[in-house]
Amino acid sequence: MTDEFETVSEDELHAYVDGQLSPPERERVESWLERHPARAEEVRQWQTQAAALKQNFASYARNGENDRALIMARRTAGGTGSASPALRLRRLAAGFLIFAAGALAGAYARDLIVPQSQLAAAASEALPRQAQSAFLIYASEVRHPVEVGAGERDHLATWLGKRLDYALKIPDLSSLGFSLVGGRLIPVNGKAGAMLMYEDGTGGRLTVLLGRNPENRETSFRIASHGNVETFYWIDGEIGYAVTGEVPRELLQKIADECYRQFEGSERS
Amino acid sequence: MSHGPDGPETGARADPAPPDAFEEEVLELMPALRRYSRSLAHSDPDGEDLLQDCVEKVLARREQWRGVNLRAWAFTIMTNLFRNGHRRRAQHPEVEFDEALGLRAEENDADPLERQRLMRGLERLSADNRAVLMLVVIEGYRYQDVADMMEIPIGTVMSRLSRARRQLAEAMKDDNVIALRRPK
Repeated sequence: MTDEFETVSEDELHAYVDGQLSPPERERVESWLERHPARAEEVRQWQTQAAALKQNFASYARNGENDRALIMARRTAGGTGSASPALRLRRLAAGFLIFAAGALAGAYARDLIVPQSQLAAAASEALPRQAQSAFLIYASEVRHPVEVGAGERDHLATWLGKRLDYALKIPDLSSLGFSLVGGRLIPVNGKAGAMLMYEDGTGGRLTVLLGRNPENRETSFRIASHGNVETFYWIDGEIGYAVTGEVPRELLQKIADECYRQFEGSERS
Repeated sequence: MSHGPDGPETGARADPAPPDAFEEEVLELMPALRRYSRSLAHSDPDGEDLLQDCVEKVLARREQWRGVNLRAWAFTIMTNLFRNGHRRRAQHPEVEFDEALGLRAEENDADPLERQRLMRGLERLSADNRAVLMLVVIEGYRYQDVADMMEIPIGTVMSRLSRARRQLAEAMKDDNVIALRRPK
């Protein structure tokens, strides 16, 4: 007779499985289940299911090695967040490489159909670090900033290209007021890499670093800052690129944009 | 240009400053967020995509955070991304699925077949039902919290939870019929 008065709702059964009942409620449900084997079987099924779900996804509850970089990449770009129209257009058009470092991404990435996984790819962390080191060492070098000067531009391209195993085209940045100083061979990720140096009319320098990327992936366009030294970097397949300079970020972005455009051209040709 | 001879030591750090308190908190949430994103997503890459979208959004909207329970706020953002049809890269779902399975299976104690059955069953759930199930079962949220996060009545939480459980059980049962051989 008791059953006619004592009912347990579906909601209570779920709450029982999910441990969201008070002890007295729990006891009541348990005794009810003893008298309702069919529902008890169902509840057991849910419990098994819950255990399987927990077990299956438990291993994902961990930090990824790129988590910090992911968060910092967003930050280093600042919160101002507006991509130039040209960049936006490029992102929409090209589709495969996303100029979405931090701020740029904040405002627009939501609206773009872009593979966000490329945003992560922070194994490229090492690249800006090396680019900044190279910049700090060589840009301040007065007498021997480069091994091969701008006078031997073709030779420089062939030589560095051969060492990198990459059809290197040396970007022409004259439209942005920078002329080539020259280049040198430099270790990047433990392999032969290339550094190109440019100079503006007042002697302000910037470097473009190219290195082989072991992971062969693509990343978005990212920014790393160290003091006043800014680096824009990206990875496009087997090659990682980093443009570093002690120049305003907007200008450096234009330069990086221009480099990207010209490198992309050299890959295609 | 006068950089001075500060050399490679100073150049060795790419980050301009250590993470601030908010960023640290987000960082601490990453494991939970990663688990939740993967429990919603179709595959490992999809899970990482969703996670990154979520982190982007959390960081971009940090001014909108009211200062309490960052975890629930981030979970809400993730849930909404997922419910709003977070795009899938599953042009080749079977391939991706098997790849994802292979990647994770080694780290997982679960029987790979059982796991596959579970994952397939989850694919049959609607986004809303799946999110409720995961928030409750894996993330341990109380029903009222889920109702608040998803901005739905608690009754709807319960009916979604119920539907998710039944559909999943049904899906796994179907699979059993095919997978198991009856002893003669």
